[in-house]
Amino acid sequence: MRGLVLTLAVTLAPLAGHAGVEQAVDDHILPAVAAFQADTTALRSAAEADCTQEAVRPAYQSAFDAWMGVAHLQFGPLEETGRGLSIAFWPDARGMVPKAVAGLVAEADPVIDDADAFAQVSVAGRGLFAIEAVLYGESYDADDYACRLAVALSRDLARTGHALAEAWDAYAEILRTAGEPGNAAYMSEAEATRELYTALMTGLEFTKDQRLGRPMGTFERPRPTRAEAWRSGRSQRNVVLSLEALRGLAAELAEAPETDAAFARAIATAEALDDPVFAGVADPAARFRLEALQQEIASIQTATATEIGAALGVSQGFNSQDGD
Amino acid sequence: MTRLLSTAAIAATAFASPALAGKADVLGTYADIAAAAYEDSRITAEALETAVDTLIATPSAEALEAAKDAWRAARVPYQQTEVFRFGNAIVDDWEGKVNAWPLDEGLIDYVDATYGGATDENDYAVLNVVASPTFTLSGTEVDATEITPELLSETLHEADAVEANVATGYHAIEFLLWGQDLNGSGAGAGARPWTDFAQGDACTNGNCDRRGDYLKAATELLVSDLSWMAEQWKDGGEARETLLADGDAGVAAILTGMGSLSYGEQAGERMKLGVLLNDPEEEHDCFSDNTHNSHYYDGMGIRNVYLGEYVRADGSLVSGESLSSLVAEADPAVDAALTDALDHTMARLGRIKTAAEAGFAYDRMLERGNDAGEALIMGAVDALVAQTSDIERAVTALGLDGIGFEGSDSLDNPNAVFQ
Repeated sequence: MRGLVLTLAVTLAPLAGHAGVEQAVDDHILPAVAAFQADTTALRSAAEADCTQEAVRPAYQSAFDAWMGVAHLQFGPLEETGRGLSIAFWPDARGMVPKAVAGLVAEADPVIDDADAFAQVSVAGRGLFAIEAVLYGESYDADDYACRLAVALSRDLARTGHALAEAWDAYAEILRTAGEPGNAAYMSEAEATRELYTALMTGLEFTKDQRLGRPMGTFERPRPTRAEAWRSGRSQRNVVLSLEALRGLAAELAEAPETDAAFARAIATAEALDDPVFAGVADPAARFRLEALQQEIASIQTATATEIGAALGVSQGFNSQDGD
Repeated sequence: MTRLLSTAAIAATAFASPALAGKADVLGTYADIAAAAYEDSRITAEALETAVDTLIATPSAEALEAAKDAWRAARVPYQQTEVFRFGNAIVDDWEGKVNAWPLDEGLIDYVDATYGGATDENDYAVLNVVASPTFTLSGTEVDATEITPELLSETLHEADAVEANVATGYHAIEFLLWGQDLNGSGAGAGARPWTDFAQGDACTNGNCDRRGDYLKAATELLVSDLSWMAEQWKDGGEARETLLADGDAGVAAILTGMGSLSYGEQAGERMKLGVLLNDPEEEHDCFSDNTHNSHYYDGMGIRNVYLGEYVRADGSLVSGESLSSLVAEADPAVDAALTDALDHTMARLGRIKTAAEAGFAYDRMLERGNDAGEALIMGAVDALVAQTSDIERAVTALGLDGIGFEGSDSLDNPNAVFQ
């Protein structure tokens, strides 16, 4: 009998799930994608007007803020052609970004003068982290190669932001028509729901294990220089913004008061850290606060699974972080 | 309402049928394949050890080539076991000892000047144990005058908590046999001279005796690690017992391994990333240029466990009740789609293997702007991503949503399920 009840629940669920997908697309995904397009376009304009470090930094910060609104949507348009990695290549365990940027500068590689050719360059030498390396690395003058590189990188990112928005115009329709004849990506409404649910769960795991876990390292061997975007002072901010974005997605998927409360607690903790680049990982007291935050994110994962996953009748699918 | 009733009726029928016996048989086949494939890995690693002994005792160009051949042969069964990762915690906890990648090879032996020095991430990227009988590691003085399996596994492997400090396993051995591939996107693999193992004045690049000691210790360790894992899958072994303890969780473990290896690991980390980075050494077997085979046999391992058949290194066939038949019973269309997807992936991986064997090496496919190479690799990536969707559909068809269905990260890290 228990089997029957479960089966009934699963059969009913997709109706609720489909509504969640529509809402998530219209109210969460598309506005965030549009904001990223606008802010990367503004970054391009800023760099074209004045490519010195000080002049471009504010626009870079805004563009990175906007990225945090879409970074968790690691499927479809961000996955195609490695677009997500060409926007943000992190974690960078083997120092590929500094290597790629230094390589371009050392050779004064003329590839930066051709947008199509530049789009073929290693993803480690493009995107937000390459821009960070240029804007927050060794200072340069307005007529230097580095300055032209900042412009080329900004143009490339704006182009990617535009392409992402175009791709989402089409992909939104694929999500909306899940389960309809001819939709090969999502053969049922539940598959579209599972995609968004997987993005939510994977995003939580990424913030907990990567954004927090990497700089924490081990107690004996903390790793502050593994914090995300520490050179531009964004590590703590990125944790807060990622949690806010994930909270937004969760709210679209299902009515989930416990999950929302768990988000509120974790965001309050993250905002109160007062440790912008997680330099405190070596200090036991500061470290304890980061561990507490990790546990609060784990509580969000549990609440999400029991409240949202169960309500929608879906569980987490495979994700691109599944490897080792 | 009709739909609800009919679904309930089907569910009731399924519960009444001897589905549990089916699952036990399927799990038995899977464990038999694991036992045979790890046993083959051990046997072929022993052959490698014999070849390494010969190389060290009587160094020659022929002995080095024979050891390389033995290494390549040993990879064939081992790569087919990678599908047992991700779903089985016992394999995940152990795997890093035998197949960790990528590595900062300067930890082990001499490297070219272009390799660079210590990095932000790794203070020991150029430690060069072969040339250093004593050194300081994370503040501790290490006596490495004698290079033993214990030194490699207990002290050097993942030294300073850096994953790229790979001191053991297939890729450490690969580096010692081939050396660095300094050809970039040009033709050719690593070209270590056999005289790197020669005795007396014939020794090149110094410390040939210590290099031989390292190679011997790493090979011995590989054999013992593989023997241990083979034991775990035999009757009464821990891996088999854990798997067989719960039918649903066991079948979910099979599918978790298939999906995680297909998508995050192989399609993402190992294949797509190399294309996106245009880095010729961003390939799994970068010293030997054997990557096309590593990918091919990884794909074959995934297909093996679904179809319930494995061809052993001696040519005999291990087969039994398959996961494919279990899925077909639940939903024939899902089974047909997944079987087709696995075949399609093998065809795409076969294209890469064919081109590589004809001379178009994998590192050349990764070159910036090499459209043919990119198309070959991305063809296989797309196939692997597509088969992952079909694997998810099999999970749903079997009603296994939400049963122990997690990535390797969650298995390794109990905090992931912390409440």
